[in-house]
Amino acid sequence: MNIQIIKKNDISLRLLIEDTNAAFMNTLRRIVTSEVPSMAIDDVVIIENSSTLQDDFLAHRVGLVPLKTDLDTYNLPEDCTCKSEFGCNLCRVSLALEAETEDHTITVYSSHFKSENPVVVPVSDRIPIAKLAPSQKIRLEAYARLGKGKDHARWQPVSMCAYKYLPIVIVNTKLCDLCGDCIKICPKNILTKAGDKIEIRNVLDCTLCQDCIDACKKNPKALEVSWNENSFIFEIESTGVLTPERILKGALSILEGKLKEFLDQLVVK
Amino acid sequence: MIVPVRCFTCGKLLGDKWEEFSRRVREGEDASKVLDDLGINRYCCRRMLLSHVEIIDEIIKFHEAGKNLRPP
Repeated sequence: MNIQIIKKNDISLRLLIEDTNAAFMNTLRRIVTSEVPSMAIDDVVIIENSSTLQDDFLAHRVGLVPLKTDLDTYNLPEDCTCKSEFGCNLCRVSLALEAETEDHTITVYSSHFKSENPVVVPVSDRIPIAKLAPSQKIRLEAYARLGKGKDHARWQPVSMCAYKYLPIVIVNTKLCDLCGDCIKICPKNILTKAGDKIEIRNVLDCTLCQDCIDACKKNPKALEVSWNENSFIFEIESTGVLTPERILKGALSILEGKLKEFLDQLVVK
Repeated sequence: MIVPVRCFTCGKLLGDKWEEFSRRVREGEDASKVLDDLGINRYCCRRMLLSHVEIIDEIIKFHEAGKNLRPP
């Protein structure tokens, strides 16, 4: 297996992975979306709420706020040594939100959350939670826990995790009459006219839609779109709770754990 | 009612981008350009901001008015 990093920034990572198969890529994708834990608010105690938003609406919004996650310090509630439904310092973080306004309308932002652990805070300070008219008040206490994407979407560490085959686009210069229809129809602008031939640039962006083949008036077609079944472009976009590298590493260690458990069972019985 | 925290479809965080989006569009910028600038690329996320109406601003006027009617 050969891996190249195509694009990398704080929240997203795009890899070209060669010499592998769809089964492995899909395993990776499914573990990333449904098994890698992240922190989100799970229980909300509303002490006072006189805002225009109902309690359940407010609790739902609070739950969806992504929180920066520290995977090494916290345990999943089901694996924690405390065995308590309520949780302990190793599996729960409490966040308090208090906002009130006297004489003008305000927006309550995610920055109003006061977390007991300064590491576990909302990813962004500017998420509007509610708006308060004069003399309205919100007081609530929220408990964040680690959870998995398969239990609820708020625990999914990624907003996108997908793979596609490595595209191969070939133009047959003998058949092509340079009509330019394929250039116009391509949604990703992969084809350009360079001198007396059609040139292919950034082939990695190709979505394999094959519109260029439909647009070509020649018979047989002057271009061919195919893909390499053993090479993949894998892209992951984090919601900001963990870095994309950390999510991938987490996914791989979970896969390793599953395989190890499988092997142990196989040997014993 | 109030801007959703995340995209309904993919779960991307969008709530923090709404205020900049609505301000820039109100100032006359092209919505598609603002969405590109904010890094909102997928159409599921783009429709979230593009089609959002902040109704809470209309409802909250009644509460602001109610405050003035109350005896001191």
